[in-house]
Amino acid sequence: MKLTTILIVAFSAASLAPAQTSTSSAPGTTAAANPMVRHVIGLDKIKRNATGTLTVQDGALEFQTGKAGNKVPVSAIDDIFIGTETTQSGGKTGTVMKTAAIAAPYESGKALSILMRTKVDILTVSYHDPEGALHGAIFALPIGQAAPMRAQLIQAGAHTSPAEKQLSDRSKP
Amino acid sequence: MKSRGIFILIASCSLLAAPAIVSAQTAAKPQISASAIQIAMVETGDVQIPAEFRFAIYERLVERVGASGAFHKVYRTGDRAADGIPDLVTLHTKVEGFKEGSQTKRELTTVLGATRVDVTASVTARDGKLLMDQKLTGRVRFFGENLGVTNDLAKRITKLVSAAF
Repeated sequence: MKLTTILIVAFSAASLAPAQTSTSSAPGTTAAANPMVRHVIGLDKIKRNATGTLTVQDGALEFQTGKAGNKVPVSAIDDIFIGTETTQSGGKTGTVMKTAAIAAPYESGKALSILMRTKVDILTVSYHDPEGALHGAIFALPIGQAAPMRAQLIQAGAHTSPAEKQLSDRSKP
Repeated sequence: MKSRGIFILIASCSLLAAPAIVSAQTAAKPQISASAIQIAMVETGDVQIPAEFRFAIYERLVERVGASGAFHKVYRTGDRAADGIPDLVTLHTKVEGFKEGSQTKRELTTVLGATRVDVTASVTARDGKLLMDQKLTGRVRFFGENLGVTNDLAKRITKLVSAAF
């Protein structure tokens, strides 16, 4: 009986261990590559609301979608701002679902507004092009990922004003 | 009977004269001419507005004014290429008020949670002469995230600028 119990515990521990390892390593990978970043506005070659990866490499901030990419040299960055925003999850599918839910009886579709809300970090990068023209690129990142990205950019040599002046949690769900 | 006839006559004359009055008003409206416009960065003064709203208004203005076709060329703040344009005009946007609402409240109640931005949009000539000055308000009332207010505002400012030039 005891042997059976020990075996069960041992198997359970063995099966859980890799799962826990992979779960704990996932945020690290996500933080490095930021795979679910939404481009709100500001990059010339990228469409608005395109989702892609945001990375800092070879002295540039790079946003890469499936088809297109855009690089901003870190030396051209004038300032970086971070904030938070509560928005709707689900992308275009979410919008379609919410529009369809308007037809639901007794206004029950409004429950979707509560279920489909999500909080995101907003990263605003102010930079200038070779002609000196000012640009502002705005990205929506998964919550908690804007600050590490900002830190990476500062480490790479981006100019910025003090963080305490910029960080504002003004999100109203 | 006679008074009824006079009334009909006056009414007919008014109807016939109406288009003439409208056209006279249209003709009287001064059109300003400029080949290029520079979009200045949004000024906030003492108003507390998050950076993403300021930059989103600026970016959307550049995008919308460019798409309107009212000018041959649209320049951004700091663009050195704009220095040599003699008839360059500059669009200034100053935030006068900001109220951040809530998307969830908007969608649940439809009457609460509106986001609004009050601005003064002005256009100046190279010599500093004021060519246009108007107060405007951008709003998000029902659907969409708070940043959507920047789109509404840019749309209104572009419409105003396109009508003036």
